[in-house]
Amino acid sequence: MTTTDHAEQTPRRPRPWVGWAVFALALCATFVLGLLAASVLERRRESAALLPAAPVADLEGDSAKWGESFPRQYESWRRTAEDGPRTKHGGPGHYDHLAADPRLKALFAGYPFEVEYNDERGHMHALEDVRGTARMDPARGGKPQPGTCLTCKSSDVPGLMAEMGVAEFYKATFGEVSAKVSHPIGCADCHDPQTMNLRITRPALREAFASMGKDINTASHQEMRTLVCAQCHAEYYFAKKNPSEEKGTYLTFPWKRGTTADAMETYYTRDVPHTDWTHPVSGAAMVKMQHPDYEAYRSGVHAYRDVSCADCHMPYRSEGGVKFTDHHIQSPLKNINAACGTCHRWSEAEIRARVETIQDTTRELLDRAEDALVAAHNEVGAAAKAGVTAAQLAESRDLLRRAQLRWDYIAAGNGMGFHAPQESARVLASAIDLAQQARVSVAKARK
Amino acid sequence: MTDRLLSLLRALFALAFLPAGWRLPTFALLGVAAGMGLLLVRVSEMPSYLSDDPRACINCHIMRPHYSTWEHSSHRQAATCNDCHVPHDSVIRTYAFKAKDGLRHAAIFTLRGEPQVIRATPASAAVIQENCVRCHERQLAHTSLPGQGRACATCHDHVPHGDARSLSATPDALVPRLAPLLSRPSGDATP
Repeated sequence: MTTTDHAEQTPRRPRPWVGWAVFALALCATFVLGLLAASVLERRRESAALLPAAPVADLEGDSAKWGESFPRQYESWRRTAEDGPRTKHGGPGHYDHLAADPRLKALFAGYPFEVEYNDERGHMHALEDVRGTARMDPARGGKPQPGTCLTCKSSDVPGLMAEMGVAEFYKATFGEVSAKVSHPIGCADCHDPQTMNLRITRPALREAFASMGKDINTASHQEMRTLVCAQCHAEYYFAKKNPSEEKGTYLTFPWKRGTTADAMETYYTRDVPHTDWTHPVSGAAMVKMQHPDYEAYRSGVHAYRDVSCADCHMPYRSEGGVKFTDHHIQSPLKNINAACGTCHRWSEAEIRARVETIQDTTRELLDRAEDALVAAHNEVGAAAKAGVTAAQLAESRDLLRRAQLRWDYIAAGNGMGFHAPQESARVLASAIDLAQQARVSVAKARK
Repeated sequence: MTDRLLSLLRALFALAFLPAGWRLPTFALLGVAAGMGLLLVRVSEMPSYLSDDPRACINCHIMRPHYSTWEHSSHRQAATCNDCHVPHDSVIRTYAFKAKDGLRHAAIFTLRGEPQVIRATPASAAVIQENCVRCHERQLAHTSLPGQGRACATCHDHVPHGDARSLSATPDALVPRLAPLLSRPSGDATP
C-alpha cells in the first residue's frame, strides 16, 4: 500500500473532483459488472433446467437412483424417516397401544397383537419395523409368517414378484423374501420409471377391483392418487389359492360385496368363511381388521368430492417457483397450511380444533365399544366355564365376532375417524349395540 | 453560522475529515457501494413498486397464482391489486402500508419463509374490507352491513382468487414474466 507516501505528497487543499471521478468510475464498474454477473447466473440456471433425467431401470427398487433426477421428491420422501412430535391421536413414532390401553390385550388375547401393538412409523422405516416386530418372533411370543407380510414393506417387491411369480412370492417364508429385499417403501411402488405416471404394482388391489367387477386400468390420474395408496392401506386376509392348502398365504382384499364394514362382515361369513383366531376367553371366532384406511375414506365427504389421499397427505409444494408433490407423507395435522388451507379458508387453529373434535368423538365411541367388548368376552367365557353349552352360546359368540370386527374397522385404521366421521360413528354405534346384544344373549342363555 | 455550515458541507464533499491518503480509496469504496445499491434497484425492479401496475406484484413467482386468478376474474375489469390490497383514504397511508407490506414480503421471500398457502394478515384483511365497501357502497345501502367478525370475504371467499388457493394452484398459468436482465425488449416478454 502506498497510501502513506501519497498522503505526504497530497497538497493541504483537497481536490474533491478527482475523488468524485473515482466514485463515479467505481459506481459504473460495479453496476455493469454486477449486471453481467447477475445475467451470467440467470443464464446458468437455463442450462441446469435442461439437464436430462438420468434413466431408471424398470422395477428399480433403490429410490436413490430415482432421486438423481427428482431431488425434490426424493428429499421430501426421505423425511418420512422423521419421528416428529405426535398429533393428539396419532402421528409418527413407536407409540405403544397396549401400554396406553390395556383393554387391547384382552380384546386380542390369543393373537399376536396381544404381544406387541405399536403405532406405525413413516415409510422409510417399513422394512426395519416389520423385521423387528415381536408379532412374528416366536422367541417373544409371536408367530412366524409367510413372505406375504413383506408385500407392502419394500420397493424391491415389484421386481421380486416379477422374478419369482406372485403365488410363489406369497408362499415363500418371511426369511426367504426378507433376504432378497433391502429398500423400504419407495418410488418403484407407485411410479412407472419411464413416464413417472402412477401405476399399480401390487396384484391384490388389481384382483380386488376385478372381484368388484371394476377395471382398475380405467382409473383417472386423480383416482390413481388414491389407488396407489390403497394397494397397501387396505383390509386383507391370506386366502387359500386351492382348498388343499393347509394355510392360506395369498394376499386378498375382501371387497367382493363392497368396502364397508357390513360388506366385509358378510364376505367373511358367507362368501369366504374366515376366522383369524379363536378368542381363548369367550371362544368366539374372531376376524382381525388391518388398517382399512382406503375403505373408510370412501365413505367420507372428501372422497365424495374426489379429494385424493395425496391431496391431503402429500399436498403440492412450490419451492423456487417449481411445483412438486411433497413426498413427505404424514398426518395433514402436521402440515395444516398446505394440506387443509388450499381449500378451507379458516385459521389453522380452527381447522385443528375441528379435526380434533371429530377425533375426540371417535375416541369416546371406541372407548365405549372396548368396554362393552371386554365385558362381553368375559361374560361369555364365564358362562362357558359354568357349563353353558356351545349351542347355547353360539348366538352371543357370533354377535361378539361381528361387534369386534366393526370396532376394529375403525380402531385399526389411521385418522381416528376423520376419514369418514359419520360412517365411523355409525360403525362404532353398531359395534357397541352388537356387543351389548351379546351380553344380553349370554345372560339369557345362563337362565 | 452559514459560513460554518458551508465549510462543513465542503469538508464532507471532499472527505476532508479523513487523512489525505484515505480519501481516494474511500471514494472508490463508496462508489462500489453505490453501484451495488443501484444494481439492487435494477435487478429487483424497485421503481415498479411505486406504480399501480399488477405486473409489479409478480416480479417474483410467489404471487403468480394470485395474479392469474385475478386476471380470470370479473374484478380485472375494475380493480388492480392495489385497489383492494392497499388503503386509499390518504396518500400517506397508501404508501406507508405499501412499504410495510412490501418489506415484509421481501423479507419473507429472502428468508424462504413463505407458507404454501398465503393468508391475509389481520391488517391486510381490514384493508381489503375497507376497499370492498369503498366500491360497493351502493349495493350495501340496501342490506344489513356485515356484523361482528364478518367481512365481505367471509362469504364471498372465492372472490376474486378462486376456490383452491396455494402457491401451486395455477403453476402453468400464462402470466407476464420478467425479461432477461441484459436483453430487455420493448413490451412484455411472453412466457
